[in-house]
Amino acid sequence: MVRVKSRYLLCELNVSDRSSLLLLDDRAVSAAVKAAVARTHGDYGAALCSIRFNVKYLNAHTGIVFLRFPKSCYRLLWSALPFITSIETRGQKIPCFFNCLHVGGTIRTCQKFLIRYNKQQLHRMLPTCKTKEEENQVCEAILNCSLTGGRREAFEDEFESEEDEEE
Amino acid sequence: MSPADKKDKPADYQRVVLKNASPYHYMKVCLVLEDESTRLSAVDLKQFIISGLKSLYGEVGAALTFDLLKYDEDTLTAFLRVNSRGLVKLWSSLTLLGSYQNQACAFRVLQVSPFLLALTGNSRELQLD
Repeated sequence: MVRVKSRYLLCELNVSDRSSLLLLDDRAVSAAVKAAVARTHGDYGAALCSIRFNVKYLNAHTGIVFLRFPKSCYRLLWSALPFITSIETRGQKIPCFFNCLHVGGTIRTCQKFLIRYNKQQLHRMLPTCKTKEEENQVCEAILNCSLTGGRREAFEDEFESEEDEEE
Repeated sequence: MSPADKKDKPADYQRVVLKNASPYHYMKVCLVLEDESTRLSAVDLKQFIISGLKSLYGEVGAALTFDLLKYDEDTLTAFLRVNSRGLVKLWSSLTLLGSYQNQACAFRVLQVSPFLLALTGNSRELQLD
């Protein structure tokens, strides 16, 4: 058996105001990527981008995006991502930039990486809790999440709750 | 080329062999316009080609370096020099250039060679008696 191969880019959307992330949807992100590719690589890039490109996953809370590109031309399309400076959604322009964290061949490897990455972030941020109480709150939030949602949601939520603590 | 060959051949003949791919390619192109009376300066021509590169390959394509070595305004024939890596990009964008100032046009690529000297003659235009 053979299969059509793709590359999945795990990107992080960096915005100045975190609450604006909630306005985003996958269509807005895909339109922004397509516009950037068309600008930097012209009709040729736009055509490559129209074949098998799509936004597989968008977490509006954490700003994590999975982009799927055809394997044959992902480097060319990837090179256009740094030129995105803003995403337009619902009549608003959100200034942001893409930070690529991981490139994977399957969604599964990207998911594994994301879980590891979020774990790492948690370990990095947990020591910055000022009081014992804060730490307990974070731990409690994690335990609550891991009981309800699936594994992956749990990790992402804990990442999120951690950030809430930070603020 | 061995030293023995050198002695046999006349001094003014020199054979050049490039072991690696040559750095540049040279193209002889001719612009055919619908309205034959249109004048086009060398600067206009280069600007026109760059606009074609930009529409097909975007800003990255427009940054491709190529030179207009020689241009004949009467026949609208030009010699272009381009990096070998950019040859396909330049050629394809020339092919897809279809209109100049709202009039149909076409680029005829007459000759392409890695050696400029090869463009001095064209075997397709040889008149054999």
